[in-house]
Amino acid sequence: MAHKSFALIICLCGLVLAGGPAATQDGALQQSLPPMALDAQLVPIMPALPSQAAALGLQCSVPQSTVAREAPLTITAARIEAGKRVRVLAIGSSSTWSNKPSAYPSRLEKMLENVWKGVDVEIVNRGVSGEIASGSARRLINEAAILRPQLVLWQLGTNDAVARVPIVDFETTVRATVRMLHKNGIDVVLVGLQYTPKYARDDHWFAVRGSLDRIASEENLLYVRRDRAMEFLAQTRSVADISPDDEFSLTDLGFPCMAEHIAQAMVANIFLRRNGDRRGAPAAPPTR
Amino acid sequence: MHDSDHNAAAAANETRLAARPRLEAARVLNQVDFWRGYALIAIFINHIPGIVYEQFTHRTFGLSDSAELFVFLAGFSLRYLADSKNEALVGPRLFMRLEARAFTLYSAQILIVSLALAMMAAAALLLDTPLILQWNNAAAFFESPVPTQIGIALLTHQMGYFDVLPLYIVLMAMAPLIVWIGRVSLGLLLACSLAVWAGALYSEFNLPTWPVEGVWFFNPFAWQLQFVLGFVLSRPRGLVETVMRNGAWLRALGAVIVAGGLWLALIGWSPNPFELPEPRLFFMNDKTFLAPLRIIHMLGLAMLIAGLFVVAMRWRGFIHLARPLCLLGRNSLHVFCAGSLLSLAGQLARFALPTGLVTDTIVLLTGVAVMLAVAWGNEWRINLSR
Repeated sequence: MAHKSFALIICLCGLVLAGGPAATQDGALQQSLPPMALDAQLVPIMPALPSQAAALGLQCSVPQSTVAREAPLTITAARIEAGKRVRVLAIGSSSTWSNKPSAYPSRLEKMLENVWKGVDVEIVNRGVSGEIASGSARRLINEAAILRPQLVLWQLGTNDAVARVPIVDFETTVRATVRMLHKNGIDVVLVGLQYTPKYARDDHWFAVRGSLDRIASEENLLYVRRDRAMEFLAQTRSVADISPDDEFSLTDLGFPCMAEHIAQAMVANIFLRRNGDRRGAPAAPPTR
Repeated sequence: MHDSDHNAAAAANETRLAARPRLEAARVLNQVDFWRGYALIAIFINHIPGIVYEQFTHRTFGLSDSAELFVFLAGFSLRYLADSKNEALVGPRLFMRLEARAFTLYSAQILIVSLALAMMAAAALLLDTPLILQWNNAAAFFESPVPTQIGIALLTHQMGYFDVLPLYIVLMAMAPLIVWIGRVSLGLLLACSLAVWAGALYSEFNLPTWPVEGVWFFNPFAWQLQFVLGFVLSRPRGLVETVMRNGAWLRALGAVIVAGGLWLALIGWSPNPFELPEPRLFFMNDKTFLAPLRIIHMLGLAMLIAGLFVVAMRWRGFIHLARPLCLLGRNSLHVFCAGSLLSLAGQLARFALPTGLVTDTIVLLTGVAVMLAVAWGNEWRINLSR
């Protein structure tokens, strides 16, 4: 029945496909990387943490100040102190996607459970890769109302940069959504952009990154600066024998380390708060 | 006037049903094809996030969008197909006809998904931007192809914007049951459908996706109601005739609902899901579960626009709009498939080309032109094989 117009569709795709250069064959390169020697400048990931947490992997070591903009996670911290189950809703764009054991939500769950002994961490994954923030926002609010998590892990930015979403629209959406979640007693962690050396020269990418910085600081959010962490790794890795034009495998580099970086940021902020309390510093202000 | 319109629509569908050449029927314009054509263009635009023209589709001016309209009209057409006066489908013929249609839809879904993945892969290589491989929930395929390929075949892996056909496939596979219950009693059908929908909203039940953890974007247990509403309100004595007959007050009610939706959309109102009583989904504006607000808005819209096509056709210039839109609507599956890929091509083009109104306009015009060419080519093929 459909032959002719499907043929048209195929022709259309042929136009897109025509002239595609040969594929890079080095997809597996990053897996075979030798573990990088720990740079003297690198702060050990979390000195105060149990040894399991330190096993986050040397390959992913990035200074804490690079990984995250710090902010307290009051709701989650209270749950952990009470020894109650912590439910995390992971939502957003790329790479929030898989439920295989090696994927980031499962690994993050295990890492957090290892660190917060006795606390049951449940990560509910509602990631759709390639979604822009305005698409995630409504879904996020509705899912949060249904699932009632203590913490929302919102990965965003890359696709808005790619889809050229106006910065004003992006910022309005993100702020409104974050405020709504805070108002309803849910901690929010923003997970920032993906990094590739080529894309990091794009103006809109920079604008989105600037916007996320602004939102995080004005709304007082814990913000995992994935792009900075990846950039740091990419730069240090390029010394360690990676062909600099192999951008595909550099992107892959972000995935194995993502759970590590988020866990690092989350755990450090809970501990930060506790240390502060011990020193008699004023308790962290409520997020909102 | 409306009777002739209806007979024409029926004739068009009966011709299709009997698999006879539909040369004459193809030229008859009717409102189902017209609005379907509009919905196809609106879906094409809405599936290019960030495009300037997004704000001119009816989604911006109300609580429902082109997805509701499309599924509603699909139910509307099912009734034409199953209950045509000349040749009502019964027994095994009905079953096989509808299941074959479901299989055609399934084939189309598999084809467009594999082409979409190829387009994204090609663009990633061509533009040297691996981030493209992450778009539209495609990351799973490129990073973990073994389970994802199984998921694609099972329809449990749904790429963003390629998640409408899986719903339609399930609805079409269930269509013999819908037609059969509808023949026993339309009231019974509506009651069953409402019960399943309400059950889904109450229990928050949805089909899971795999291997990506999540749920179906269009929950079939909820969305079957939109399809059944289209089926029930179709002829005979369907929505159009009822509205035409009882004209004024039904249309006024539709106008009030649509005006209310417009006002809510313009002030940006949406119920705060945290403050709603249980069961929450009945009060939320949730697309996945087809919330009541969206159904009411869609029905209001249908009451308002039903029969307007006939009125507009009295105005001579309208034919220039009606002809192309009906052409699209008559070939809706082909155009839908082309539109899905064109939306993706549009996303890629907007990434590759400089940002701005010029790019967006080129994307829109090229997209609509190719959709028209696909529809025209399909009818040309049918006429040739006569």
